[in-house]
Amino acid sequence: MSNLLNHHLQAIKLVLSRMRSNLLSSFMICLVIAVAMCLPSLFYLGVDNLSKLTDQMQNETEISLFLKLDTNTDAIAKIDALLANNPDIRQYHLVTKNEAWKQLQEKSKGNQDISDAISQLGKNPLPDAFFIQAKSADPDSLQALKNTLEQIPGVQHALLNTEWAKRLATLLGLGKKVIFFIALLLTTVLLVIIGNTVRMQILTQKDEIEVSYLIGATNSFIRMPFLYAGILYGFFGSLLAILMMIGMIQTFNYSVSEISHLYSSDFSLTLFNASLYATVITVAVTIGWIGSYFAVTRAINAIKIN
Amino acid sequence: MIQFDQVTKRYPGSDEILKNVSFSIDAGEFVFVTGHSGAGKSTLLKLIAATERATSGTVLIANQNVSQLKPSVIPYLRRRFGLIFQDHKLLYDRNCFENVILPLRINGVAEQEAAKRVRAALDKVGLLNKEKAMPITLSGGEQQRLAIARAVVSRPSILLADEPTGNLDASYAADIMAIFQSFNQVGVTVIMSTHDALGMSTKQNRVLHLNQGRLSQDLASSFNTNNLQPRETF
Repeated sequence: MSNLLNHHLQAIKLVLSRMRSNLLSSFMICLVIAVAMCLPSLFYLGVDNLSKLTDQMQNETEISLFLKLDTNTDAIAKIDALLANNPDIRQYHLVTKNEAWKQLQEKSKGNQDISDAISQLGKNPLPDAFFIQAKSADPDSLQALKNTLEQIPGVQHALLNTEWAKRLATLLGLGKKVIFFIALLLTTVLLVIIGNTVRMQILTQKDEIEVSYLIGATNSFIRMPFLYAGILYGFFGSLLAILMMIGMIQTFNYSVSEISHLYSSDFSLTLFNASLYATVITVAVTIGWIGSYFAVTRAINAIKIN
Repeated sequence: MIQFDQVTKRYPGSDEILKNVSFSIDAGEFVFVTGHSGAGKSTLLKLIAATERATSGTVLIANQNVSQLKPSVIPYLRRRFGLIFQDHKLLYDRNCFENVILPLRINGVAEQEAAKRVRAALDKVGLLNKEKAMPITLSGGEQQRLAIARAVVSRPSILLADEPTGNLDASYAADIMAIFQSFNQVGVTVIMSTHDALGMSTKQNRVLHLNQGRLSQDLASSFNTNNLQPRETF
């Protein structure tokens, strides 16, 4: 048992000292891995954050129910009762035409043109309106609810403004698929790069491998340092990728916070996305291991035949 | 301990390198394998070290039939041998100490214990003061002694040397021979190939003479060191 542990420790020490002695080229390989990991991760972060944002917006969507202009208070009370009994509605409130008129006048006080235009109107053109929040945020059930509400007598028009959010959500779904394929392509590239790097190392270490075989090294002993090389390249590469991502997110957040301030939202990209970072590390280490495993197995067979 | 029975070896696309070779070597013997170049000396040693397999016949090492061993077991068989090559097969990218420690790393010996044994081995071949030197800075004789240190550091019970003195001048060769003899005296079986048997003090040793792949002479030694116990028994 301690024997096995010794082997592993010696292999790791050996690989680290080799990396130290070829610091620049090791760094280059890690950089390549980092960039390849960064691309799909950033894409993912972007799409993920946007889709969270649209979810939030869909939750906030209201159905506006504008009543006919000649609706009297009795009819309003009837509609009110209908809404109160509808199980799909979370909450609603009524804005009467007079309230709406006052609000409009209040809001337009600052703007001379609009307040002039309003005062020229003379009488209130606004209808009574109910503003309704549904229990479900699902676009389809919102649509169904809108249709039912439109059927109520006395209702002029029901407005559901989720079309754009729906479209965005579909686009984001498409984006996720694109990310998947980009990640797949970059994984292949990484497998080849790491495999090739390890193969080159094996070539420079060919004498050592041959001598080791002659004095009784097992396959796993020969393989181990190269497997650790692949794993460590993956590990350091992913750490570098995470650092790069944190840097980029920070820069992003400066501009994002400005934009979201304009929209009076406190939206920003999360800096420490633990599950994403864990995934990046796991994927990179696994790719490193698999790439070097194939390279070393092929090379060992070639050397043995010699 | 080592037994060849009707062993034939043929490489693909070549004639038979060894033809019907039979002999046995006991623990503690010092055996020369002689013959012209191309007579099959190296192949014979490779068959013992299990780096090659016999085309036909049986090779028994410590009562194990080498040709029937699983590939995964062969590394452990090889660890019983100390191998010394004519071209040393040293690793020139690391110093003497790191060269000698390699077999102990393979055996998984703990670092402190390994360092002790490396220094003991270097001391035995007279290179203790060159521990930090790179092999390329050593003379031919010193390089061969370094290779011997690497071969003996894991305390094998059999030393296999393929023309260890082939490239050395007479005084260096005598040094190397003296080192082998001292190992033999403490019970290590030594099997050494040479194309130049006359230059060696072979009179007191057993000689297996190969001629075009056949064992043409098996001269028993007049001086026997078998009464000494081997350090490690199979």
